[in-house]
Order: sequence, then structure tokens, then C-alpha cells
Amino acid sequence: MVTFRLSKIDTMLARMIGRSKGQFIAVFTIITLGIATFTAMNMTAINMKTTVETYYRENNFADLFIQTGAVPAQAAERLAGIDGVKKAMGRVTVEVPMITDDENERVNLRLVTTTGEDDELNKSTLLKGNMISGDRNEILLVEQFAKLRGIDAGDRIKIQAGGVQYTMEVAGIVANPEYIYLMENAQSIVADDTFGVGYVSEQFGRQAAGLPGSYNEIVIGYEEGADEEALIEDLEDALDVYGVKQTIKRKDQLSHSVIDLELANLETMANSIPIVFLLVAGLILMMMLSRLVKKDRIKIGILKAIGYSNRQVLLHYVKYALISGFAGGTAGAVLGMALAGGMTRLYLDFFNIPLLRIEFYYAFLAYAILLSSAFCALSGLIGARGVLKIFPADSMRTEAPKAGKRILLERIPFFWKRLSFSSKMINKNIFRNKKRTIFVLTGIAVTFAMMLFTFTMPEIMDQMMNEHFTEFQKMDYSIGFRTPVQKTAVRDMEHLIDVDYIEGKLEYPFELRNGNKKQAVSIIGLNRDTRFYTFQNTDGEIAEIPRKGMLITENLAKALDVGKGDLVLVESYIPNRDDTYIQVRDVIRQTLGMNAYMDIDAMGETLLEKNIINGVYADSKDPDINKKLIRASNVASVMSVSDIRAMYEEYMAMTFVSIGFMVVFAGILGFCIVYNATIVSLGEREMEFSSLRVLGFTKMEIFFMIVRENNIITVMGILLGIPLGYLLSDYSSAAFSTDIYSVDMSPTSKALIMAAVFTAVFVFLAQLATYRKIQKLDFLQALKNRES
Amino acid sequence: MTMLQAGNGRTILRCEHLSKSYQMGEIEVKALQDTSFEIREGEFVVILGPSGSGKSTLLNIIGGMDLPTSGKVFLRDEEITAYSERELTEYRRNKVGFVFQFYNIMANLTAEENVELATEISKDPLPIGEILEAVGLADRRDHFPSQMSGGEQQRVSIARAVAKNPEILLCDEPTGALDFNTGIAILSLLHKVNREMGKTVIVITHNSDIALMADRVLRMRSGRIIDDHINENPVAVEDIKW
Repeated sequence: MVTFRLSKIDTMLARMIGRSKGQFIAVFTIITLGIATFTAMNMTAINMKTTVETYYRENNFADLFIQTGAVPAQAAERLAGIDGVKKAMGRVTVEVPMITDDENERVNLRLVTTTGEDDELNKSTLLKGNMISGDRNEILLVEQFAKLRGIDAGDRIKIQAGGVQYTMEVAGIVANPEYIYLMENAQSIVADDTFGVGYVSEQFGRQAAGLPGSYNEIVIGYEEGADEEALIEDLEDALDVYGVKQTIKRKDQLSHSVIDLELANLETMANSIPIVFLLVAGLILMMMLSRLVKKDRIKIGILKAIGYSNRQVLLHYVKYALISGFAGGTAGAVLGMALAGGMTRLYLDFFNIPLLRIEFYYAFLAYAILLSSAFCALSGLIGARGVLKIFPADSMRTEAPKAGKRILLERIPFFWKRLSFSSKMINKNIFRNKKRTIFVLTGIAVTFAMMLFTFTMPEIMDQMMNEHFTEFQKMDYSIGFRTPVQKTAVRDMEHLIDVDYIEGKLEYPFELRNGNKKQAVSIIGLNRDTRFYTFQNTDGEIAEIPRKGMLITENLAKALDVGKGDLVLVESYIPNRDDTYIQVRDVIRQTLGMNAYMDIDAMGETLLEKNIINGVYADSKDPDINKKLIRASNVASVMSVSDIRAMYEEYMAMTFVSIGFMVVFAGILGFCIVYNATIVSLGEREMEFSSLRVLGFTKMEIFFMIVRENNIITVMGILLGIPLGYLLSDYSSAAFSTDIYSVDMSPTSKALIMAAVFTAVFVFLAQLATYRKIQKLDFLQALKNRES
Repeated sequence: MTMLQAGNGRTILRCEHLSKSYQMGEIEVKALQDTSFEIREGEFVVILGPSGSGKSTLLNIIGGMDLPTSGKVFLRDEEITAYSERELTEYRRNKVGFVFQFYNIMANLTAEENVELATEISKDPLPIGEILEAVGLADRRDHFPSQMSGGEQQRVSIARAVAKNPEILLCDEPTGALDFNTGIAILSLLHKVNREMGKTVIVITHNSDIALMADRVLRMRSGRIIDDHINENPVAVEDIKW
């Protein structure tokens, strides 16, 4: 039988760990949390990426989407002959209202035609029921929408298309790679039950859209290695005669871009958060071991006197760090693996991906354990390297007392004289033990900065909503038409619904170009004296809609690399219409979305047609607005701005869970740092405290001295954390700003206060935890004993 | 006890012109000044001197725990002052046993484990059980230092040093922290190690009464050896009083 016996030096180590359980557990916890985050998030990201890629591949997710005018079927077929095109498919997409029992409810259904063939691009996966059998009044509904509306296979729904009401049988419920994340447009963040997607036969779709024998959208699959830009140019040239409204690459496709962003964020967090934890753990270990080596001077000397080599003695201390790293890494990796399964499932459910591909990458586990072990071992080496300097004989000699020095405060007699003895001691201890003070200071600053960032997020999001929906945009409703009409139609609207105020608008997608930089955005034409928008440029000044030229948003200016006064090429989709250069008259701030704004008349004249509108903005308290507009054949959409706002707020509520986690994580960090630093301080100053006891100080008084020391350092740490928090927020502003959001994450006063309070709470808890240790210390005995 | 009984006449340790200075804060301390002497195998040597005379420094250099500023130390024919770091470690591991004034045993190891701490790394250790028996701690082997008296802890220290089976045993004020009776018991033990196990023992002390039991006495003052003589009539341990 093989017996395993620990060497005596390892037995000493095991017992040392047992004696300092609290500190060991603190370090172990930090490492576990860090590695668990690393493992869980990375494995989830890998799982998600693999799953999404597989899903796209198996369902022939298209590489390119081109929205066009009416393209004849044969013309669409000919596109397959273009070099680089693996498959080209035409389809019809049209948005129709769904008739519901609630006449005030407006539900939009996007109908997309499907051939049902196996090699179809953007093939649907049948989840329930049957595929369309060819009967024209059948529809397949996307799962998210069906669930929200409680619709099942076999049910019937009513839609209105081209002024005609149709009853559709829901043949089946499907999932589709194009709508993994169901979004009506860039402004809709959360899927709600007022927008859905349904797949219909080509015949029905054409009829609903009024496009006999034609398509209004082309989807393309690339050959491997195809030159995307060249291919897009060829395709646009071929389709120019029919009018190209918008060309969307897969990377910009709404659903895909949301998933991509989500995965990118996940990967960023997976690799950045653990670094913070490991760094803190490493610093704590360095500090602990450095102090331990100093305290164990004589023990180290004896071990060397007995005949242990430098390497063996150094290893004795490094093993402490290595064990924390290995144990924490293993626990964290296992915990992370367990969490990864659940996290992946959550993501798959949230994104409605029908594939389930959860794999456990055991190599990753080994990597995580290796990472934390190596990191901690290195910290241990750095912390314990003082072992090498100790010569056995030197360790037996009494250490020379530390050189006495005045601290800066002592040189200010006015202030210094007024301090009590204990206050003087506190200040001296803070400024003499610079390394320890800096460590705790940094730890508290980091904790505070993380809390500040965390509390700023909801504040800023709230501010963003208010700013966008109250100050920037002021309309109650945005009503879109199917086809443009004369401006005079505004008066017709006034007869149809009760309005307090109404303005016509012109909103169309265009591709804007500056050299090789391009961006597809909606240009919105407004009355120059519009009441519904207040534009502010980047200097904070009010910007007016120019008579000629346009205003562009800050994020658009960045994307095109243009500024005030520059010319931008606006590519027209209208057949045989030339592209036009339009001058940027100013760059404006806009929190949500990316747009350009023009005078409605100038826009019509330059880019489209004179005197037309394709929608209206209205202020209205009419309770039956949806009911009244639902039967209007030319009304394509009615968006209540308050509904959009509610949707954003629902989205924000989801982020509060992750905010809660961040606060706890940051708090644990702060707790562990202060706890360890205080324990180290107790150990180093045992003789000092013993002398105070002899003088008559009680344990409670000594505890409060330490508390006051930590409080001063906490305040200093918080002050230091403020600029750090601002830096973190600035970085996040850049990181979180996308085409959809433009975030200015400047911390608010409320966030500052909350962060300070929570930091102080965690520091207080850490100090409470050390109180027990102080109670247990036999200060008087310490005076009798030599260190051993 | 004659010199013939005390040793076999062969020189085991030779120190030549040893000097040692070191920094203590801002002060330079001249601990040893041109010290030379020889010790024979099997001798019980007492190095006597007041506090600050350089006794501990000398012992540390002999024990390979410190390096002299100048001079040489030979164990038999090996010049230990020329040893590399690794060779010094080997020397301390196998050739020397050290007994400290304040015992310096590990607080979180039992008596037996403390001895094992040393024997685990030694080339040719003595059986732990026998050693513990010899020092009178057979029934205290599983006790921690906190459960032992000062005398018992010092016995553990001696056991740890002897179990390594060293060439020489170096004892720095072994009775300094003990009461009279316990001190006598420890000296008896050291004497036993010398006579029965044939180990060369060097004891440093400021207590001149202890010098009465020695085979050879070296007297030090201000870092120099001022007297080096053979004790013709060593006194039995039991007869020593201070």
C-alpha cells in the first residue's frame, strides 16, 4: 500500500494555513470568483459562438441583404451568375397590421416570403406544427412573437394587406437565423408583442405587397473567399435600374449585430474582470508573504541553520501562494463550468436559438487552473523573496530599530500640537507604513471606482431616456406611411384623428459616403421650425435645421470621419437618380440612434420629390388613435413614443441584476483587501499594542485606533477613487457607444454618494471581522515571548 | 577526566586569524579580531566570555551561519570559509548540530516532528525514537512546544541537533533561559552526548561555573581569545553550582 507522508516543512505549512484561515479564505475567495467569472464567461462565449455559427451554417444564413424597388423574378435569378455569388434569392417583405380584439392596439407583422426549399437562404427551423403546404392563406410565425401573443400552431390570425382583411392559419411556429433577436428596427431593444415576423408563400406575399412577379428584397450567399466590396458593387450595379434602397451586410444585420455585440461584451468582461480579481489576490499574497517572511526571520534562520537551502525555504512560502492559486483556481474553474452550462442555456433561451450545443472544454479548465496557480506562485515569489536575503546569523541578531523620521504632518506644529496622543500615533502609522497604506488605498480606490461605475450606469441610462424622449424628441406619436403622399395629406390626418399639433416628415434610408467610409442611415426631413426636435451641437449650442445642407449626429460624423463644413455623398436609391453631395452644416448630439436631418423641402427637392411626406409627427391625446388609423390603408406604422420609452425602461430593469452582481463583487474585493491589511497590521504591531496595553489602553480602544486609521485611509482611498471612477466611466463611454447608443457615462452626484456609502459599508464589515481577532490576541503574553 | 579520555587527539576544528565586522544600523561592530585556535575531536569545549565578547559570532561562523570578514575555518581538512552557498547548506545539514539559547523549535510541530524536520534532510541521521529516549522525551513525543516546559523544549532542540548525527554540536548559551536545576539537567545531557556518543561539543556561555565541566576552556574578551587552556580536572556536572 502506498502511503503518503507530508514532509515536516510541508506539515508546518499546512498548519500555518490552518492558523491563518481567515486570510487564506479571503484570498481563496477572490481567486475563486475571478476564475469562476473567467471560466463561465469564456466557456459561454465559446459555446454561443459555436452554436450561432452552426445555426447560421445549417440554416443558410445570408451574407447580404439588399432592399430594392420591384425586381422581376428573372432578374433576381440572373444575379447568381455574378462572380462570388454562391446563391441569390429574391423575396418579398412587407409590413402589415395584425387585427386584434383590442382596437386600440397596433400590432405590426412583417411578412416574409419563403419557398420552403431545403437550400433556401435564411431557412426556418420548424419548432411546432407544419411547414406551409402551398395554401396561400397559411403563415409560419416566429416563436418569440407567437409566445408573447399566446398563439399556437393551428390558431388563426387576421391581417390587413392592401386594404383587404385576410384570415391566416398558423401552420407552424418557427425559428429563423435572421430573427434570433427579434427587432422591428434599431430603436427596439426588447421584443414585445406589437411586432412579429411571419413567413408566407411567395404568391400570398406578392399579393399582399402588390408586387406581382417581383421581389423587393434580394438575399445573397457568398462563395468562399469572395471579395465582399467588389461583389456588393457588382450587385448594386446590376440592381441599380430597379432602385437599391439599402444594402445590409450580415455584420450590420440587426439581429446578428446585437448577438455579435453581446458576445463581444461577454468576451471583454470574461477577460477583464478576472484580471482585476487576480491582481488584487496577487497583491494581497505579496503583502502577506512579505510580512510573514519578516515576522519569521528567526524561523527562517533556524531552518537554514538546520540545513534547509534557500530554495527549500523560499518554496515553503511560495507554496502558500501556490496552494491558494491552485485551490482557488480549481474551485473557480469547477464553479465556472457549472455556471457556464446555465449561462449558455440562458443565452440560448433569450436569443431563441433552437440548437443546443453546450460543451465543456476541459482544456480550458486546465488553463484556468494553470493561470491562477502561475499568477499566485509569481506573487508568492515576489512577496517572499526576502527569504533569500536572510543569513542565518543575521536572523538571530536583534533587528536594528527602524530609523526614526518625522512625518510631514509633524512639521506643521499648529496642526500637530492639537492632536491627541492616539491621533498622533494613527497618523504616524499611516505615513510610516507607506507600502501597506498604499496597498489599502489602492484597493479602496479600485473598489470605489467599480462601485461608482456600477451606480452611474442606471443613472446615466435614466438620464439618457429623459434626454432623448423629453428634451431631444418631443412628439407623442410618429406615424409612417406606406407610400409617400403630398404634403397636404397632413390636413387629412387632422380630420382622421384628434391632434393638438401635427407636422409632416420625410424619412428615408440612404447610404452616406465619405471616401471609403460609408454608413446607411435614415435622413429625416423636418420643418425648419419644427416643434418636435431640439438640436444641440457638440458645443452645447442650439443648432437649427439649415435651409440647405444637413445636420448629422455625432456618431455618424465619427463613422464617416467628417465634420462641420465637409461634403458627404448621399447615394440615392431612386433609379436613374444621381448621387448628390450635401454639406454637413453642423454635428449634433443624439443619445439614441444615428441620423441626418434636413429641411423637408430641400430634402424632397434634392433627394426625392418636391412637396412630399411619408409620415407625420403628432401630439395627440386621442385615446382611439390606433383604432382610427388601423384601417387607413396607407398607414404603415403608428409608434407611440411613450411605448418606446417603456420598452427601454424594461430593458434597463434587466440590467439591474448584473449591477447587483457588480456591487457585490466590488464589495468583496474591498472587504478582502481591508481585512487582510488589518490582520497584517495586527501581526506586525503586536509588540506596539502590547506596550499600549501595559500603559492602560483597553482592547476596544486599540480596536478603535485601527478603525480610525482605516477610516482615514478609506476617505483618502475614496477621494483617489473619484478620478479613477471618472476614468473608468470615460473608457466605458467609448466602449459602450455603438451605432444605436451614444453614452456619456459621467458619474452623477447620486452615484458618487452611493458608491461612497457602499464602499464604507464593506470596509466597516471587514473591520468588524477583524474585531474577533483583536479580542483573541494576548498582547501581554507577546511582551514575554521572543518571536518564534 | 584526562584529555586522552576526552578526545582522540586529532584536530577536528581549526580557526585561523578570524575577524568579523558588521553593521548594526549606523554603527559598525567589530565582533571578532584576529582569532585563532584548534579543537580536538571528542572534546567538550566551553567558550567563556561576557556579553558582547564575540562568542556567538564565533559560534555562528564555525556553524556556517555567517561568514568572517577575514580568516579561515577548517573542519578537518575542509576549509568551510571557502564554501559556496550550496556547500555551506550541505555543511549545516550534515556536519553541524546547533542548540540555541531560546530553543528555537517550531511551535506548530510536535517534539517528534521537530526532530524529523532535521532528520528528513540529513544524509545519515540517527533513529528518532532512540534520540528522544536518550534525551528523556519518549513520552512527550506528540506534545507541542506550548505543552512543554523550557527544559523539555531545550531537550527537543538538543535531540533535533543530535539526530542529524553531526560532526560537532554547537550550543549557544543552552542554559541561559533555564532555571538552575533544569540547566544542570541539560548540561548532563550534553555531557552524555559528548561522552557516550563521542560528539565534539562546543558550548558558549558567560557563566564561568559551567566552564568547570569542560575539557578545554577558551576565554574571550572584545572579540579576542585571551586564554586557551586544557582543564586538567573537569568537574562532574552534578557538582556544578551557580
